[in-house]
Amino acid sequence: LPAACMERPQVVSHVQQALNYTVFDCKWVPRSARLLCLGSAARGTGLVQLYELHGARLELLREIEKPKPIKCGTFGATSLQQRYLATGDFDGNLNIWNLEAPEIPVYSVKGHKEIINSIDGVGGLGIGEGAPEIVTGSRDGTVKVWDPRQKDTPVANMEPVQGESKRDCWTVAFGNAYNQEERVVCAGYDNGDIKLFDLKTMSLRWETNIKNGVCSVEFDRKDINMNKLVATSLEGKFHVFDMRTQHPTKGFASVSEKAQKSTIWQVRHLPQNRDVFMTSGGSGSLHLWKYEYPAQRSKKDSEGSEMGVAGSVSLLQNVTLSTQPISSLDWSPDKKGLCVCGAFDQTVRVLIVTKLNKI
Amino acid sequence: MPVWLREHSWRQTLTAVYLSLPLRGARATAANIFCSEQYLKVSIPPFLFEAVLYAPIDDTNSTAKIGNGNIFFTLYKKELAMWDSLTLANADKGKLQYLRENAVLKAHEKAKEETEAKKITKQEHKKYALEATMKLEEAERKRIEDLKEKERQKVAKELELWKNQQKDADKYKNIQKRGELHQEIEPLKERKKEKMNKTRIPNEGSSKTRLKPTKGCHGPCSMFSENLKEEQLPAPRSATTIKVSFTPRVFPTALRESRVAEEEEWLHKQAEARRIINSDLSELEDLKAEEKNPDWLKDKGNKMFAMGNYLGAVNAYNLAVRLNNKLPLLYLNRAACHLKLRNLHKAIEDSSKALELLTPPVPDNENARVKAHVRRGTAFCQLELYTEGLQDYEAALKINPENKNIEKDAEKIRHLIQGTMQSS
Repeated sequence: LPAACMERPQVVSHVQQALNYTVFDCKWVPRSARLLCLGSAARGTGLVQLYELHGARLELLREIEKPKPIKCGTFGATSLQQRYLATGDFDGNLNIWNLEAPEIPVYSVKGHKEIINSIDGVGGLGIGEGAPEIVTGSRDGTVKVWDPRQKDTPVANMEPVQGESKRDCWTVAFGNAYNQEERVVCAGYDNGDIKLFDLKTMSLRWETNIKNGVCSVEFDRKDINMNKLVATSLEGKFHVFDMRTQHPTKGFASVSEKAQKSTIWQVRHLPQNRDVFMTSGGSGSLHLWKYEYPAQRSKKDSEGSEMGVAGSVSLLQNVTLSTQPISSLDWSPDKKGLCVCGAFDQTVRVLIVTKLNKI
Repeated sequence: MPVWLREHSWRQTLTAVYLSLPLRGARATAANIFCSEQYLKVSIPPFLFEAVLYAPIDDTNSTAKIGNGNIFFTLYKKELAMWDSLTLANADKGKLQYLRENAVLKAHEKAKEETEAKKITKQEHKKYALEATMKLEEAERKRIEDLKEKERQKVAKELELWKNQQKDADKYKNIQKRGELHQEIEPLKERKKEKMNKTRIPNEGSSKTRLKPTKGCHGPCSMFSENLKEEQLPAPRSATTIKVSFTPRVFPTALRESRVAEEEEWLHKQAEARRIINSDLSELEDLKAEEKNPDWLKDKGNKMFAMGNYLGAVNAYNLAVRLNNKLPLLYLNRAACHLKLRNLHKAIEDSSKALELLTPPVPDNENARVKAHVRRGTAFCQLELYTEGLQDYEAALKINPENKNIEKDAEKIRHLIQGTMQSS
């Protein structure tokens, strides 16, 4: 192998831990070398396991069992001292837990009629400004925004028009939270719809359809003026939208890439470099991508309105870790290149991506 | 008859026999010489030389030199003895024959053995080559693995270092915090009593002060300013609802399952069909405007069918077809009328035409196709062409397996067919 290949970022598998339950989500605990695995045990209950990274293995610190299987979780809306975990479960319940005292949730609401597929938090962890909020997207077709200070009712509810058919919401993400007032929520649905809701004006700001069901959406950073949005879908495609310039009719410019034949389950941007992101696939593979900006990010069209120009995406590295889909992925916000991924082969893997400084 | 070469000369030593054979102008190659243990033959058509040797020789090591119009044999004796003569004197025909055949057999065997030996050596060479390549590749792979391993170890070490840094930083912060806490508790108690339960003594791992050594600290805060910040947080939003509607789809199947191409074709065809106006309008000029509209005529026909006026319905459909002969439903309905009127052949024709127009087969025109098959099937059965009828019923069942009536009728037809076959 020529030396040039070793100059690219390498994905090194550091630890592999076999679990005896299905893991749906895995998250690093901020400011620590600990990680959480959320999932569903064989007997149909929910499981939260807290692990600590010790050398070349993971040590189980704590195991918490809950009545309903847990699908997703986030630390996005909690302060760095409290580090409460917000979870969505298969029954549509949103709970916020204090992991030191997990018997009773700090906040609990039956937010949706069906499984909460995706959850995101903003305003916590010392990142960004504004109130801490949590958004949940569910199979019942609604997207709801919650404030932990307000019980029982969401502060925003995006629901289908009465009488019209509903589509499952598969993914949600916060963005544009660069000051106390601004915030947007992006939601992806199973029919390929992507909708952008502006929470300041409480209106639908943009929508589009990418033909295939949207598995995952993420802004490159939540706490800045919205810059880029990546949306991944079934059939191996993902789209990168340039969110700086919105054209009145054409919306946002985008570039799309077909990475692999199978579904792309997750996209996660590297917290330390917003132009690098990793996608995980249904064939058990991970792809590391870098976005390159075009020479000019916007141009004028024939009528003089500004429209965005999409850049290009290049593949830095790819690796196949499993035969089953890798359904969850999280970068450590504290150590550049450290990430954890959970796959449907009941294994959680801690990986280190090297040479990210050289990109 | 071959020409025998008899002018040979020979001499011998204890170990070898030297035979010289002039060729009389013929040209010899190795292929013309055949030699075995006790038999030597040179055959250059039409010349022939043959000798049954006095005693066996070592035919592998013996040589023959061809040149100067002469073949010079050097035959090494198996047994070191002097021969009385070159050939066996009193060799009778039978013995000669036997010796010849034997010789040939032996030669065959030898040839076989040689090829075997060659094959084996070839295989061994191949194996050797393969092993050598494998070794090379192994070495290469190992080299890459080593590189990767080194990388892994380096990275693992860095991680440990980072983790320890975390731990130390936390410990340091804990001590710091306790100090700060004591200093700040007094003013805090005065100002925000209700927020006290939020300021807990931090345990290992939770920390956030400006003294953090590692990178990633977002904004300098101490506990004190954290509480201040909470006061500055905006109030929760007032609850609002945003209504959304989803992109409608003509066909509700997912992209990869949809038969988009065919469905588009079908839609296109339908659109085209509606636009056609057949042009022989000379006789149609005295018709009213609405009577020139195929859809209106179709409706009229349907109404008349419902009332039992089958002839009228047929007329309506006929006119509609003259105006637009690409609408499958017209033929379909006309087929139903013909069935009622017992114009069975016409019914079959119309159902067939309808089926032709109902391509490509998509979920949208399922119902129509089922009806067409059933009608044609019924017509066939009434003409006592039961096998054709059954075929149509089965086609209908294939499209719509849930329909019990079709199933029952198909069963009945099957019984009928079996009944007639038994009786004939």
